[in-house]
Amino acid sequence: MSAQHEIKSPWREPSPFSLVAAALLAFLTLLLLIYPAVVILIGSFRPGGGLISEGAGFTAENYIKIFRSGFGRFVVNSLVICIATTLVSTVLSIMAAYAFSRFNFRLKRPLFLSILFGQVFPWIVLINPLFVAFATVQLTNNYVGMILTYTAFTIPFSVYMLVGYLVTVPKSLDEAAIMDGASRWQVIWLIIWPIMLPGFVATATYTFLLCWTEYLFALAFLTQSDMKTLPLGLYQFFGDDTIDWGAVMAASVVTTLPVFVLFLPIQGQITSGRTAGALK
Amino acid sequence: MIRHIGAAVLALTLGISNIVAAEPVTITFRFNDTEAEVRGAIDEFQRQNPDIKIDLQRIGWRDAQNQFLREAATGGGPDVIHSAQVWVKEMGQAGAARVLDDFIKADPPPNGFDDFLSQDLARGPGEKIYGLPWTTDTWALVFRTDLLKEAGIDKPPVTWEELRKASADVFKKTGKAGFGFPAGSSASGAIWFLANFYWWSHGKALIIQKEDGSYGIGLTPPDVAEAMRYYKSYLDGGDNPKANLAASDAHDPSIVRALASGNQAMGAMPPNTYQQVLQAYAEANHDKPAPFFSAPFPHANDTKSSMIGGRMLVVNANTKHPKEAWRFVKFMASQQVFASYYRTQFPAQRSLLKNVDFGAPMKGFAEQFEYARTWGPYASGPIPIGAMWNATGRAFGAALSGQRSADDAAKDLIQEIGKLMASKR
Amino acid sequence: MRDRLFLTAMLGPSLALLLLFYGYPILDNLRISFTDLSLLGLKRGGSWVGLDNYRELFQSGDFGDVLFNTVVWLTATSVAIRVLLGLAIAVLLNSSALKRLRLATISRFALLIPWATPPIVAVIIWRWLLDPHGDVNATLMRFGLVDQPIAFFADMRTVWPAVVTVMVWNTVPLIALSLLSSMQTVPEELYEAAELDGATRWQQFRHITLPFLMPNLLVLGLMSVFWSFNNFVYVWLATGAGPGTFTNVLATEVYLEAFVNFRVGYSSAIGLVMALVMGVFGIIYLRLVAQRQLEDTL
Repeated sequence: MSAQHEIKSPWREPSPFSLVAAALLAFLTLLLLIYPAVVILIGSFRPGGGLISEGAGFTAENYIKIFRSGFGRFVVNSLVICIATTLVSTVLSIMAAYAFSRFNFRLKRPLFLSILFGQVFPWIVLINPLFVAFATVQLTNNYVGMILTYTAFTIPFSVYMLVGYLVTVPKSLDEAAIMDGASRWQVIWLIIWPIMLPGFVATATYTFLLCWTEYLFALAFLTQSDMKTLPLGLYQFFGDDTIDWGAVMAASVVTTLPVFVLFLPIQGQITSGRTAGALK
Repeated sequence: MIRHIGAAVLALTLGISNIVAAEPVTITFRFNDTEAEVRGAIDEFQRQNPDIKIDLQRIGWRDAQNQFLREAATGGGPDVIHSAQVWVKEMGQAGAARVLDDFIKADPPPNGFDDFLSQDLARGPGEKIYGLPWTTDTWALVFRTDLLKEAGIDKPPVTWEELRKASADVFKKTGKAGFGFPAGSSASGAIWFLANFYWWSHGKALIIQKEDGSYGIGLTPPDVAEAMRYYKSYLDGGDNPKANLAASDAHDPSIVRALASGNQAMGAMPPNTYQQVLQAYAEANHDKPAPFFSAPFPHANDTKSSMIGGRMLVVNANTKHPKEAWRFVKFMASQQVFASYYRTQFPAQRSLLKNVDFGAPMKGFAEQFEYARTWGPYASGPIPIGAMWNATGRAFGAALSGQRSADDAAKDLIQEIGKLMASKR
Repeated sequence: MRDRLFLTAMLGPSLALLLLFYGYPILDNLRISFTDLSLLGLKRGGSWVGLDNYRELFQSGDFGDVLFNTVVWLTATSVAIRVLLGLAIAVLLNSSALKRLRLATISRFALLIPWATPPIVAVIIWRWLLDPHGDVNATLMRFGLVDQPIAFFADMRTVWPAVVTVMVWNTVPLIALSLLSSMQTVPEELYEAAELDGATRWQQFRHITLPFLMPNLLVLGLMSVFWSFNNFVYVWLATGAGPGTFTNVLATEVYLEAFVNFRVGYSSAIGLVMALVMGVFGIIYLRLVAQRQLEDTL
């Protein structure tokens, strides 16, 4: 494998027109993506979340309020559950994806399709039976139950994504390594993994964010205050007669922030053209 | 010999009971509003009862009933539950709520059970008591004095027609919204309250209980259509902005904001929402006195024009500590709690309610209580209140948004209610 | 034999989890859909009613409307917009022009923001932005596009576009980032060679990038359809399925029947019909569109 560098070829040099067009489009896109979040951010520093009183000045009261009511605990719970889910789900998914993409076996097509078709069910009808099952084995209000649940719900999509990426990696690579004496397991983690990194990042992001923003199942399975995750914590500010908008905004910012901190180091991993060299 | 054994047994028993007594019992209490409101009361209870620990859980109102029904069905759930008053009968039906009659007889609340409001809603299957009424509130109208003055209205409207005219005048003369009520159709939307208040103040009701004890529908399609047309006139006239078709709650931010910033003259809401409006106003206008007052819904001929709403405390049928749970429930409903700790809600007991100082802006709510009624047959009747609430909201939504004519929507609603009543639940 | 063991170890854990979390509830729901189970009667169970629930569903007057809403607005429109927009964003982020402007990294961060926002907050903020007094109307009026503010969520002509906007905003990053990752597996040499042969950028996209993206795109498309069709939160939080029943979709109908009317049995039947519709669609989709792809892949 040759080293990867940004090959500066003259043909890739963008014209001034492209630069301007790209800049404009990028600006527009960024605006649409970020503007709502900016409104939330500003609102979190306003009493009433900036929604109900005009011109009411700035305050940090909302943040103080939510942390005093135990919001920090929710951050911890969400972090533990989501990071663990991402790890477990990614490992299991890549194992399954490797099996589907590298082997042929009798039940391959039906199994592959059944994973896909499991997705056709709306989640809300799954809640009651799962709740009864969980309550019977006392898996409610604990991390393991949530991790298993979220892993199960993210595996199908992850497997599909990973199979899609894996088929672009030629089998000859595996065979070469095996002939050199590597075990299958080593092939996955030492050879496939580096090439597939962008795919992993996409899958891991999907898994993490699904777990991070999920509400329906967390609501059903986590009833003790010290076990709740961030989305539940956020819903607590929705009262019957009033909604504490300031707290909701602050809670939303606190919910979004850790995502950045976690993905900061990883985003750099999406580099281009790693496969190109591998073929050589 | 026997004396020795006797003494030993006695000592052993005393020793064991000491150990048992030393183990504090933990009661889980699921409360649905903010913790700050009850923290003081809970701490006081634990101080007075060192053998009982309270574990406070929280859940939002929207999911509270479903969650509890699920948990109770699998043998779990918290020991004491904060419940809407209209849910108690259903919880009794589901076998989720514990019967309280024996506790009330053996260890009655200080002023007796008859002092409580909404007793009819506390009863369930077999006429037994399944919940203790805890807090109460009602809805009333709120007005902005400055906008009314600007529109040349010098006395608050007391009939439905006057209300309509005042709202139209405000819109015509000031360009600001008049009676901006939430006209949205979500399953638990506010239009259900407004519709019922209109019917009640005309001496009618959707569900009535006949003399022989059976339940019936007390409205005809023309009655329903009349209410629909009445509220639609506000939207058609523009004094309720059409945008409010997307607002389903009295506390919708656009409505609260409009009232607080002087873009709307009238609203309908419960006390807590009103407090939020007042607070929003104060935050933006620091020292000025709030130009608001409250008044009851029109109630000509001594009819009732608002509901006695409220919350109850329910003990889980699966609880392992029923006696301790009752002690906690009884304590939370005591005068001490309402006087010193739990100030954000009104007590659901007549004697205590008399002593509450409502304050000037809330006078309308105090007055409204005298012209308010409980849901009564709605809750004790065969149809789950949620189902009626949803059906009414949707029918009104269709009529108010112009998707269907008021007559058609009214006919559909009565038909739907009839179907619900006929099917076995 | 060693391979067989390896395969079992690789596939076993995933399949076991899926069987537990999908298989069991699905079978349970199938059973419940033939009963009249009520949320108030969970303990004692429901009694058998056979196909009554299904009959009632198909005979109900508004089943057609609800299905239409779900298929056309909730699913078709939002998936089409989401995929096209996601593709466009991915192309933009992958372009050399952007790299030159050094906006690529910031853009990827910006993508995370809508994705990491909880749906309830997304709905609140968009309801605020689209309010007659909100920023969108202010902008529209400033540029003279409208002379009166539009109440997006209250007006039946605009309520679906508004709901779709919220959905797309919250979910397009997934599509964009997935496609972006796929795009980055395309070897540079292919573009080089095409350029030397005189291919325009558009031709390069059509004949090099797109084929590479196809497997991913097809899967994303299908998953997106399933997920949108079954989606409940956005409609529920934004409009409560109103005004009236205008924006009622199948998933909100399930919620209403199960948790408001307490009819768990009936709502299970609706859920199963939804699954059936999606199942049939999936089969047709795979047959027509993805057959070749699937064969290549497997």
